[in-house]
Amino acid sequence: MLREITLGQYYPVNSFIHRLDSRVKLAGTFLFLIALFIVNSWTAYAVLALVLFGFILLSKVPFSFMVRGLKSVLFLLLLSVSFNLFLTPGEELFRFFFLKMTKEGLQIASMMAIRLVMLVLSSSILTLTTTPNALTDGMEKGLGIFKLFHFPVHEIAMMMSIALRFIPILVEETDKIMKAQMARGADFESGSIFDRAKAMVPILVPLFVSAFRRAYDLAMAMEARCYQGGEGRTKMKPLHYTKADYLSYLVLFLILGMAIGSRFISLP
Amino acid sequence: MENIVVKDVSYQYTRRNENDEVIETLSALSALNFSIEAGSFVCILGHNGSGKSTLAKLFNALQLPTEGTILVSGMDSREEKNIFPIRREVGMVFQNPDNQIIASVVEEDVGFGPENIGLPTDEIWQRVNNALSAVHMEAYRLKSPNHLSGGQKQRVAIAGTLAMEPKTIVLDEPTAMLDPSGRKEVLESVLELKRKKGISIILITHYMEEAVDADRILLMDSGKLVMDGSPREVFQNVERLKEYRMDVPLITELAHKLQKKGFPIEKTILKKEELEEELFKLKEEGFSLQENFTAPELPGLSELSSEKPEAGDYIVEVNHLSAIFQEGTAMESFALKDLSMKIRRGSLTAVIGHTGSGKSTLVQHLNGLIKAKSGEIFVSFRENPPLVKSGKSFLFFKGKKTVIEKKGRLSLSEEGFDYRALRFKVGLVFQYPEYQLFEETVLADVMFGPLNQGKTREDAEALAKDALASLGIGEELYAKSPFELSGGQKRKVAIAGVLAMGPELLILDEPTAGLDPAGRDELFEEIAGLRKNYAMTILLVSHSMDDVARYADEVLVLHQGELKLEGTVEEVFSKKEELESMGLGLPQIRALLFDLKKNGLDMQLGNTVSEAVHALSAYFSGDYSEGKGVSHA
Repeated sequence: MLREITLGQYYPVNSFIHRLDSRVKLAGTFLFLIALFIVNSWTAYAVLALVLFGFILLSKVPFSFMVRGLKSVLFLLLLSVSFNLFLTPGEELFRFFFLKMTKEGLQIASMMAIRLVMLVLSSSILTLTTTPNALTDGMEKGLGIFKLFHFPVHEIAMMMSIALRFIPILVEETDKIMKAQMARGADFESGSIFDRAKAMVPILVPLFVSAFRRAYDLAMAMEARCYQGGEGRTKMKPLHYTKADYLSYLVLFLILGMAIGSRFISLP
Repeated sequence: MENIVVKDVSYQYTRRNENDEVIETLSALSALNFSIEAGSFVCILGHNGSGKSTLAKLFNALQLPTEGTILVSGMDSREEKNIFPIRREVGMVFQNPDNQIIASVVEEDVGFGPENIGLPTDEIWQRVNNALSAVHMEAYRLKSPNHLSGGQKQRVAIAGTLAMEPKTIVLDEPTAMLDPSGRKEVLESVLELKRKKGISIILITHYMEEAVDADRILLMDSGKLVMDGSPREVFQNVERLKEYRMDVPLITELAHKLQKKGFPIEKTILKKEELEEELFKLKEEGFSLQENFTAPELPGLSELSSEKPEAGDYIVEVNHLSAIFQEGTAMESFALKDLSMKIRRGSLTAVIGHTGSGKSTLVQHLNGLIKAKSGEIFVSFRENPPLVKSGKSFLFFKGKKTVIEKKGRLSLSEEGFDYRALRFKVGLVFQYPEYQLFEETVLADVMFGPLNQGKTREDAEALAKDALASLGIGEELYAKSPFELSGGQKRKVAIAGVLAMGPELLILDEPTAGLDPAGRDELFEEIAGLRKNYAMTILLVSHSMDDVARYADEVLVLHQGELKLEGTVEEVFSKKEELESMGLGLPQIRALLFDLKKNGLDMQLGNTVSEAVHALSAYFSGDYSEGKGVSHA
């Protein structure tokens, strides 16, 4: 039932983007996002779209895979587009009962749609080309500066990677417990909302008990292997910047610079 | 040289209430004194709750003794500065393979320990490579642990401790959750480490067969050390071991019973080869059993059931059932392939096969948790669940529902079949059923099923009490929380939860996994009792050929989703080659008798200890000297 869920949508091919340091990709996604919200002209959007298309080609991930990520935000996209389309005051284009579409609305809505689509695509490039582990590693090292402010960067990264490891196990466990309770005649599919909520108790209690037991076991296993927090820990796979990484940073900042520059000249 | 020294060690658990006041103290270990030699293989045995796991955690300072001292290479575990050096010397592998793997990639998990102790990157890699090759897992280094088998996961866990280069590895029931092939994998890896690297091994286990190769056995009972000696010394006390809820290897038990019968076997037998040798020697010496042997009547299996099964009376019939895993993806594969079988009413039928052979898919079809997509399943209960057919509906008017009672054979794909009602007739007890307990009291938990059936509270309570009593759970436990019970008790409460619904067919998936030998025997006795007292048909999914041989009367063998063998225990276990080609073995006793027969002791084969005693007694008191075997045709 629940087993088909796949987590972390890493697409394993060997491409230039795949080989980049995860910190570059994290920073890149962030910078691209800023650029996306700075620009406000069609020409600039077209340039950014071209750049994004270039990244997708470089990543060697099939386009159909990229677009899959869009499905999940389709509803949000339609909602915000239609709100902007009909609720922006301005020059009326046509009217359907009480709804009127305005020229300004059309402009804002289409920009909004473009931004959202590009945003989802750019973050898909990140998750499709980076393993969850590399991602947490990148976050740990990239955000290392926050340690100075006593922000527990290592602990949070460790928690994320443990969560990634245990989510599939707990999903499978939920499936098992559900089946076991169904075998005892539990009914999750009929009755009022109240009944259905009550029917979840026989699943949730064992699931919590099991999650706590696993957490206890895992803590024990980590301690047995001398875990004592991030202090004094070394890395099996330390992150190193290569020439390609520095080059990529350069390109990314150039894009951001161009985006900022585009605000000061008038473009169609 | 002594590696670990345990001096006057006691350990107490204290339970406190919300105000931090001590409610009670439970003594888990008391006054232990022993030491462990470097490079030795020590096995710790003891029933569930005897204090073995607590002891294991004391060895590497995961817990500290309440009294006494533990010295690891001379370091006292109670001193703060020694904790991490001790943990580097004494590695630990736990029972549940899933709960001790930290990283999502095998090699990164093995590197976790070395990272923690701050080794340089190059050395981490070297240690990871060495550790993975020591357990033969190099090929899986980039895999996700979620895609490995149980045995492979445990080998990764062993590699994880090995990368710390420990002098001792403590394994706390590492094989309890594994199938026989996984158990073998893990045990072989451990023995190889001892042999090649001289690492001391401390193995905690419930499987007596695993203790046979140890240099020394420590037997724990209620927190005390009650026996200490070589396997041969410990296993000669067959009766005393049973008092401690332990057992001896089956072969040892057979030899012991033969000795009692008058066979002049002198030493304690631990292995099949040793017993074979002894028996061949007896044959050459011309030994003849003195007492005049009269064959006692073995109880026929059919007498165990109150209802005499009639030929052709089947409770379940499966015709051409196929099921596909992950249909429509690249991983598509057959879980079941054109499978047809029948289960005789009143029988105890065993389903055997490897992990992944389709056993659990099959049993979930039988109670409708999975609906058959191709093929058909028929059931025939003494009281069939009614078919509910709703008439045609017109606009807002729903059609009238008609309830049809149908006698005899009923197809699961018939229109109006109520799968929920089926689940009350076909009780399915999953593996580790205690994980599904959720209510505040034992009684309430068992009542869950009957209440779902729509029974009144009074009726549900009566049914629950009856089910609990039939599994030997006393009234004093009814009001307790199920989470306070011992492992074996929890298991029985969970089984009672299914039993209380009054199923006609009870399916048990590995019901004795993780229980100690006495707990296992008790549960099987109670299952046999259910059959007798409630005329229940039982389907037992099992990995253990010895249990199947002892308790089942019919066997189904599944392999890669296909039904390969089907028949009585005798019929199925006589097909040695076919079983071996599927990687399944014979019951230990049968394997012994088979070897004997092949080498000239012409006698009847059997599967259980009592059958073997019977057959060997018959052979050695018969007139074999003239070359005539005792024939039991």
